[in-house]
Amino acid sequence: MRKAVIAFAALALGAGAAGWLGHPAPATAQGGGTLEVEVKYNGAPVIEKLKVNKDTQKCGTEAVVEKVAVGPTKGLKNAVVSVPTAKGPARAAKAVLDQQGCKFVPHVVAMMPGEIDIKNSDDILHNIHTYSTANPPINKAQPKFKKVMTEKFEKPEVIKVTCDVHSWMLGWIVVVPTPFFGVTGDEGVVKLDNVPAGKHTVEVWHEVLGKQTREVEVKPGQVTRVSLELKK
Amino acid sequence: MGARRAAWAALGAAGVLLLAPGPAGAQRGDPAAGKAVYELRCAGCHGIKGDGKGPAAELLDPRPRDFTTGVYKIRTTAAKIPSDEDLFRVITEGMPGTSMPGWKMLPERDRWNLVAYIKTFAPDKFREPPPRQALPPEVAPSPESIKRGREMFEAIECNKCHGNQGRGDGPSRPELKDDWGHPIRPANLTKRWTFRGGARREDVAMRIAVGVLGTPMPAFLEAVEKPEDIWHLTNYVLSLGPESPRFVTLLTAAAVTEPIPDDPAAPFWAKLPPQNVPLVGQVIVEPRNFNPAIDMVTVRAAWNEREVAFHLTWDDPTESRGGDGTHPDAIALQFPPRVDPSGERPYFLMGLGSEPVYLLRWEQGRGVVEATATGPTQVTVLAGSEAAGRAVWADGQYRLVVKRARVAREAGRTPFEPGLFLPVALQAWDGGAGETGAKMSLTSWYYLRLGEPQSNRRLVIPPVVALLTLAAMLLIVRAANRRG
Repeated sequence: MRKAVIAFAALALGAGAAGWLGHPAPATAQGGGTLEVEVKYNGAPVIEKLKVNKDTQKCGTEAVVEKVAVGPTKGLKNAVVSVPTAKGPARAAKAVLDQQGCKFVPHVVAMMPGEIDIKNSDDILHNIHTYSTANPPINKAQPKFKKVMTEKFEKPEVIKVTCDVHSWMLGWIVVVPTPFFGVTGDEGVVKLDNVPAGKHTVEVWHEVLGKQTREVEVKPGQVTRVSLELKK
Repeated sequence: MGARRAAWAALGAAGVLLLAPGPAGAQRGDPAAGKAVYELRCAGCHGIKGDGKGPAAELLDPRPRDFTTGVYKIRTTAAKIPSDEDLFRVITEGMPGTSMPGWKMLPERDRWNLVAYIKTFAPDKFREPPPRQALPPEVAPSPESIKRGREMFEAIECNKCHGNQGRGDGPSRPELKDDWGHPIRPANLTKRWTFRGGARREDVAMRIAVGVLGTPMPAFLEAVEKPEDIWHLTNYVLSLGPESPRFVTLLTAAAVTEPIPDDPAAPFWAKLPPQNVPLVGQVIVEPRNFNPAIDMVTVRAAWNEREVAFHLTWDDPTESRGGDGTHPDAIALQFPPRVDPSGERPYFLMGLGSEPVYLLRWEQGRGVVEATATGPTQVTVLAGSEAAGRAVWADGQYRLVVKRARVAREAGRTPFEPGLFLPVALQAWDGGAGETGAKMSLTSWYYLRLGEPQSNRRLVIPPVVALLTLAAMLLIVRAANRRG
């Protein structure tokens, strides 16, 4: 009898969840607008190059650490843009952080609170060592045969990720309390669709250049463009 | 019923066994009473605020724990915080290989109060008692298990930090830092008496399973092929070195008749008993060496009519020839230049003023020389040195043979006479760790005895004496019988 009740409850929950994922939140469906955020940086890029003395068949002989990467149009790469004030349903796709050629790929990954798949594509030992305070810190070995492991980060926080085996490896997991986020590429632009209309705060974070916020108003059916410049 | 089953399934999937906190739960100690004990006994290193920045912290390596983060190295839990029992055990037994002593001398109640108090430095981390981490079913040590452990050791690349033979000399060693950014060394797996969390089988298995938080040592429970590999790895790690160093108090050189080989790898040396001597940092003159790199030298010694020879083994993660901020690795055997029948010895720290010491000194790239010294930096190499030696370095370990003619060719060079107790001391420098001059590790005076040659007489004479005695007795009995 109990079993039946539980099964029913599970079914009901599952159906509910499916419904939730299938239909976007009403606010988004009704009066959403597009927000295009451009992040600029006028300074010189900071690229560190280090000599590699181990695992060179996988890691190469030189490690390139992009501390501040700037695109051809002065767009700042690897900045996280998010709209913490905009609420909405979770994204369907799970965040993924790969270890490839002894680098974290992508260098910066943003996600909503929840699970992330951490992959090891290198066929050598790495270890996932996080420096977090809101979320419990982890330091887990990921030997060559452990291709994927799933970790949970439930609280919004900027988390530094390192590998102690390869000290130059540096990555960032940025947990944001909103589904409206993105990480800038070479152009320094993040485009967010279906942002609920209204006044919002846009937040930009970069590992070296820090944080900046900007108030914006998103109008339904329109594209709102914002340009920010981060400075040292 | 179903809910419980579901809960068990979820726990099983996580590989975690939740146990209700035992009687030794969170409420056992009194933080207010613990504060008084803490401020008297612990604050000197750990700081009054518990931030690991006490007045002594600067001199310590590893540094004292910063309690404000709630990150602890030694835990047996399936959470990121240690259990009360974990904290109690570290307070009671200390952390081998660090400056943290055991506090057994404090009453048990004080130690539980300390547990309660240090948790108050990170109150938001210690909200709930953590669940205990269950380990896979234990696998007893056996040659097969040790073999499988070695395979796993290679597959999961323990060698990256701990080195091929476990001596803490892996390629990632120079880059390792703890969560506070301080350099940290991987454990030397051949010296289990320095394991921070204890050397019992379950201690080692637990460290491999859950890692050492706040350090580069990750958790391997989910990173081995099969859960029982944790035990195979444990059995392998424990096979790498002895249970205890069994330090000696007297060094003996074995008397031999055959020629003594120069090669440190010759089977001749393996037949001689290893004699372990502990070394400590030199902290008497500047620059003091509070955190010496070399903590033990294994001595094997032999002599024949012609020469005396010492075979020294010590761990050093790098073969350092100097340059680039480093110095050449070096080691020295120290003797008084002449044997004083009254037992007087020169000052143990490489002599003083008018009382020099005699040294057999090896240095990477220079070989062995005879020298005299009147202080750590007052070393004079003797001309016409008769000493010779050969060193090999492999997998984080030096092996060195030092030889000299047994009879001194002139006064001032120590003669080696059998049967005497000859004072001897050792000094060692890990040049790769920046040790040179007075910055060294060393011993006080020990004694070396050249053992007497073992002849067959001890096997022949006693039976002959016994037979003669028996014959004499029989004669007496017979004579007495005749008289009767």
